[in-house]
Amino acid sequence: MDNRKKLFTRRDPYKNNDQLREAFLAATRSELSHHIKNCPEYARIAEKQGFRPDDIRTEADLAKIPVIPTLYLKRNRLFSVPESELAVRASSSGTKGSASTVGIDKKSLSLGMRMMTRFFSYHKVISLIPCNYVILSYEPGATDLGAAKTAYGTSKFAPALHREYCLKAVNGKYELNIEGVQKALLRYAKSPFPVRFVGFPAYMYFLARSLRDRGVSLKLNKKSMVILGGGWKQFSGEEIGREAFCALINETLGIGRERILEFYSAAEHPLAYARCSCGHFHVPAYSRVIIRSAYDLSPVENGQTGLLSFVSPLVHSMPITSVVTDDLAVYSDEPCGCGNPAPYFDLIGRAGVSGITTCAAAAAETLGKGAAK
Amino acid sequence: MNLVFGEFLDNAAAKEAVSRLGELVLEARRQPPLLRDTVIRACDRLSRSLRDEDCIPLLTGMGLSPEKAKAELGYARFVTSREYLTSRLIREFGGTEDGRFTPCGEDRPVRLEWKPLGVLMHIAAGNVDAAPVYSVLEGLLTGNVNILKLPGGDNGLSVLLLKKLIEIEPAIEKYVFVFDFPSADTETLGRIAAVSDAVTVWGGDEAVSAARKLAMPDTKLIEWGHKLSFAYVSGDVGISALEGAAKNICETEQLLCNSCQGVFLDTDDFEEVCRFAERFAAILEKTAESIPSSLPPAVAAQKTLELYTEELEAEPGSKRVYRRGGVSVIAYNDSELTASYAFRNCWVRPLPKDKLLSELSKYKNLLNTAALLCPKKDRAELEALFEKTGVVRITSGERMSRSYCGAPHDGELPLRRYMKLVSYEY
Repeated sequence: MDNRKKLFTRRDPYKNNDQLREAFLAATRSELSHHIKNCPEYARIAEKQGFRPDDIRTEADLAKIPVIPTLYLKRNRLFSVPESELAVRASSSGTKGSASTVGIDKKSLSLGMRMMTRFFSYHKVISLIPCNYVILSYEPGATDLGAAKTAYGTSKFAPALHREYCLKAVNGKYELNIEGVQKALLRYAKSPFPVRFVGFPAYMYFLARSLRDRGVSLKLNKKSMVILGGGWKQFSGEEIGREAFCALINETLGIGRERILEFYSAAEHPLAYARCSCGHFHVPAYSRVIIRSAYDLSPVENGQTGLLSFVSPLVHSMPITSVVTDDLAVYSDEPCGCGNPAPYFDLIGRAGVSGITTCAAAAAETLGKGAAK
Repeated sequence: MNLVFGEFLDNAAAKEAVSRLGELVLEARRQPPLLRDTVIRACDRLSRSLRDEDCIPLLTGMGLSPEKAKAELGYARFVTSREYLTSRLIREFGGTEDGRFTPCGEDRPVRLEWKPLGVLMHIAAGNVDAAPVYSVLEGLLTGNVNILKLPGGDNGLSVLLLKKLIEIEPAIEKYVFVFDFPSADTETLGRIAAVSDAVTVWGGDEAVSAARKLAMPDTKLIEWGHKLSFAYVSGDVGISALEGAAKNICETEQLLCNSCQGVFLDTDDFEEVCRFAERFAAILEKTAESIPSSLPPAVAAQKTLELYTEELEAEPGSKRVYRRGGVSVIAYNDSELTASYAFRNCWVRPLPKDKLLSELSKYKNLLNTAALLCPKKDRAELEALFEKTGVVRITSGERMSRSYCGAPHDGELPLRRYMKLVSYEY
């Protein structure tokens, strides 16, 4: 069995051993050789940084892999296979204006699907009981957004009776569908089937808050579930604490905290990380997290805040074996109270200027091309 | 924090006030007109009451460095002083002549008088600490009733200063409304706009577009949109001129409309651009050392990612990155005008004199200040070129972000925009 298959198709995503660690390093080396051979831009970057795949001998060497920032992927196309071999394309949601285009080849996609199925099955998200869905994201069709695809994909983990979208496609544009969602919800509440809410946390928050403001308190089927991913994005000013958020959902929809699941994922790193009952995102055996210095991207000590960076050999079509996101996080390999033996990271915030409008950057919007070139 | 008729209100009470804003505004307008002298006297007293021992701790508590706090406070005292305001009014509206004249071809005299527009809604920007107050002060000086919508994440300074001004001069009380509703609350903001004669908006495209949507066709829009500024270097330029531009970059962190974003060099040779970039990086590094700053880690992280991405993208023939001790200069081989990454990260680009007009003409309504760094003998020729573009201020590097009393803003006299000329003839 090839190393990638060995890594990504295991029933327990978190259980690791020496054999798997070896497989991880071997798969990473082999993917990097492929990217350097087939992606001239990445080969140039690797050469500039004096990196060769054979340099990867131990886990500590993983930090040496030329790391690609998500910003680079937003501004450049970077493929290691002919574009005709891409099975799917997705765009990041482009919180700050520009979006990455990510393309995945058939083999990585099939491996990724198996990984996701195992992963969500481990987290008991997969169910045969039909559900009514509230999709807290975009309606697919008019968009290439990864978020739309992820949310729609997530609504296949249990058979769908009906799907109502928070962002509905109307004549090729997206409109907020608050009224439609509220009507659907009242209808769902009378049905004997569970309801699943999937998508952006910010929409879940606004939905629950508007229900509370109107004095609505529903008792949905106890198998109902909230499945969130994607960060607070444009509503970051409204972020509330996790406890208050869970309490609000319980108060308005009757869904208990144990049935509110949060996942972390990114278009540029299409793997999922689940938040445990202690609030941590555990790292599966097929991925590694490196926290990098906010000043020079070098790895920092466990427990220190820095930029969240991942290494995983999943994607064959793009040299995104090692990526650095613009999320700030801390990493720990201390035992976690939830019992999951895998190390974990906690999200701390996002890189960037928040709350300050820079005069000049805003002026550059007029030019339609974001800050600098 | 909301402020109506001199009282602090919570959001629910403020919402209630907005629901009867039409009446409240009418009540304010039924007052005797607010005289300039009254406003000037109140501002002058405010200016003299801003004592270091009270204000510096307040400002440093809001996150300003002690040096910045001192400078901001000094500026606030200066622009609210009687001397400044009197001089500014003369600069904008002329002397004491009463506006009477007999128009050409007429046989009777007419009289022209500047009068307030009436009610001004101010949508303030968040990038200058006390900007919302300055906007309201301009509205008061011109006798208007002012309704201020605070920027998101406002630090509370504006409301405190306005409250203080009202305590000094209660006649101002009814001329100032402050509301702290989020920009997303378009329904409430629309109601405020509906009772206003003009909406003055400071901010980026998003703010300006939002204001355009808020204001009905019968409401005048006064837009102070965001702008870009740069330095132009031509011929032999001494180190002190370049240090001036570097000083502006460090002092303003490139966040203002008139901050230097980068340098256009009078050449079409990319190698020359790179040599200059390397030289300027050294000057910028040295200047930065004398003006310490500390970036919040989240901002530092963003800059690190941006510069690393630029380095990954760099190509010897089109882009080179020069990083030195917390500053950077990126040499590009194009003549585009872009915002820099700010926080002491600037660009250098080729822009030969003969292409200056064609390249800069692309940027309508977007240019602000050009620092002209060239031998004195070439100034007139280059000034003539810049005049034809959208540039509204030509100065040295060091003076780019320094204002002076009576200075036009974005090429206009601001106070005039808040007034109308009424013509009287019988």
